[in-house]
Amino acid sequence: MGKIRFSKIRTLETGYNDAALNMAIDEVMIENVQETPVLRIYGWSPVAVSIGYFQSMKEEVDLDKCNQIGVDVVRRLTGGGAVLHESELTYSFITKEYPRNIMESYAWICEAVVMSLHRMGFDARFVPLNDIVIAAKKVSGNAQTRRNGILLQHGTLLLGVDVAKMFSVLRVPSEKLRDKIIKDAKERVTSLTGTTFDELSLSLKTSFAIKFDANLVADNMSTEEINRARWLAEQKYRSKEWNFRR
Amino acid sequence: MKIAHNLYKSQKLIRINLEYNERENTINQIRISGDFFFYPEEALETLEADLIGRKLERDTLKQEIEKSLGKTEVYGFDSASLTEAILGCKT
Repeated sequence: MGKIRFSKIRTLETGYNDAALNMAIDEVMIENVQETPVLRIYGWSPVAVSIGYFQSMKEEVDLDKCNQIGVDVVRRLTGGGAVLHESELTYSFITKEYPRNIMESYAWICEAVVMSLHRMGFDARFVPLNDIVIAAKKVSGNAQTRRNGILLQHGTLLLGVDVAKMFSVLRVPSEKLRDKIIKDAKERVTSLTGTTFDELSLSLKTSFAIKFDANLVADNMSTEEINRARWLAEQKYRSKEWNFRR
Repeated sequence: MKIAHNLYKSQKLIRINLEYNERENTINQIRISGDFFFYPEEALETLEADLIGRKLERDTLKQEIEKSLGKTEVYGFDSASLTEAILGCKT
């Protein structure tokens, strides 16, 4: 893997936003990123389910249940599976320069995430294609898209996990096997218990700076970026055309 | 015309929604969904379009899928598993 360095990384802490705006901000970052890559750190409010680009909303998500308990839904720009975003930190890394090989590029970015977990005392490791595990249990899922020569990878880091709630809003392949699926998931997923969002955010930023030999430049979204993100959230990420396209 | 569905576990889960002509044994419409990764993303729609009119026969499907997958990078299934996922709609 070639050594790619950046002199600067623009860091954005965009706080807690709803699902549509969160995905819209990611898309705006793809549209606007220049030579300086962007590390964005964010959370979700209200709690949301995101589905992968190729998933079917109706087949994956119990929409009635989501409505009942106030869980937001959105389709991501990236592939992979459905995720309940509740107690977690989500990051996005957007860059023009990256390893063209997909497997390499996952490893390249996930290494910075793993470094941040090591710093916090977790024995984490990257498992290709896109997972980070602690003691063989998944603590982070990651997904990429590449558009117009730009790579975006976003990923979740679980600060807590409520598997029962997760499966209350997700459809399962077989209702008969629901209990077994939940039991299996509980055995396969873990979280960074005892860690706060802010501690993790700081560790993550430090690791990206070290990994890429970069200075961090803390920034806010510009007015133009915010307006564009709001427009995309309304026109695309809240639309039935996008969310129910499969 | 017949509508059929199949859920197929490869490395990732593939869902097939298929509309096919029973008499001709050909695909009218197909939607492939699941938690896989497909780069570039838009190429999945091209693959679905390329499958329309194809015979629901193993060799024909596999050949067509291989041709499409040759231009993409896919993580979660391969041409053989996608072929079986589609043919599984008929069983």
